Amino acid sequence: MAGPLALALVLGLASLSFLMRATGSFLPNLPSAVAERTAGLAPALLAALVAIQLTGPNGLVHLDVKVPAVLLAAVLAALRAPFIVCVVAGALVAAILRAVFHLN
Amino acid sequence: MPAHRHLSYLMAGMRAGRSTREILQAAAPIALAVFVFGASFGVLAVAAHLPAWSVVLMSALVFAGSAQFAALGVIVAGGGVLTAIFAGALLNLRFIATGIAVARSLPGGRLLRSLLAQLSIDESYALSVRAGAPGPPDGRTLLVTGACLYAVWLAGTLIGALFGPVLGDPKRLGLDAAFPAGFVALLWPLLSGHHAARCAVGGAVVALALAPFTPPGIPLAGAAVVGLWLAR
Repeated sequence: MAGPLALALVLGLASLSFLMRATGSFLPNLPSAVAERTAGLAPALLAALVAIQLTGPNGLVHLDVKVPAVLLAAVLAALRAPFIVCVVAGALVAAILRAVFHLN
Repeated sequence: MPAHRHLSYLMAGMRAGRSTREILQAAAPIALAVFVFGASFGVLAVAAHLPAWSVVLMSALVFAGSAQFAALGVIVAGGGVLTAIFAGALLNLRFIATGIAVARSLPGGRLLRSLLAQLSIDESYALSVRAGAPGPPDGRTLLVTGACLYAVWLAGTLIGALFGPVLGDPKRLGLDAAFPAGFVALLWPLLSGHHAARCAVGGAVVALALAPFTPPGIPLAGAAVVGLWLAR
């Protein structure tokens, strides 16, 4: 990615994140219903990100080595393995399946 | 007054709780995890062809692992910069809720509090809530752990970004599969939350339904709407 584009990404995300963390200091009486509802965002978005990562360029689910990688990471996460163990195990499964079975 | 004296003066005026040493001891295992998380972000971001300086700058200015991971995941999947910002910012919307909770526990006027609130991430917030249970979050725990985790997050990213290129071809190493694996690992601990499981299922279903027909970003926006709708 070109430098100016990367800078735009960083500054865009940074300024929005700053505003969100600062909101409470300026609007401490925001209705609690608003705050409560934002709790649903992280699980919905992370699940959506997992799903989108498993789709191909046409937007349909694409079966490749990422599927077993996600399944293994989910099992490890359920067993309370640390984040890095889930990530490395997922990458390793994908790398091994590609090297040994020449899968996509 | 030197900056560190000023900060300790502010903190002395706050609710007396655990000593700084006790707080740091509680934060140490979390600091190790945050360091490794930062290093893995640095490695993956450099492998996705982001300039190393921008990767470190992002960790310095955004300081939110899941949002940075999400933005990077969009770039890796071929999405544009605006979609990536959108994905990361949506994940950070939860900081509005934590920001309201911590604002009352922080010292100083609005401006200073809004600056100090930048030290709130999931981990520092969780520790500050437990420290101050059952009342409001403990501001001192938030600041001490937040500052410690900020330093560790930045150092981890720097080391990952410096040593990432040594690893070699990202796809041969399965680094593209690291993203969905990482998102699952971030998602799992959240599922115990109130209504979190139905938000997750709803978000995934809506994203998959929209993905074949809409440009990148729309499936995530749909998932966000469903998450907000199903949260209560």
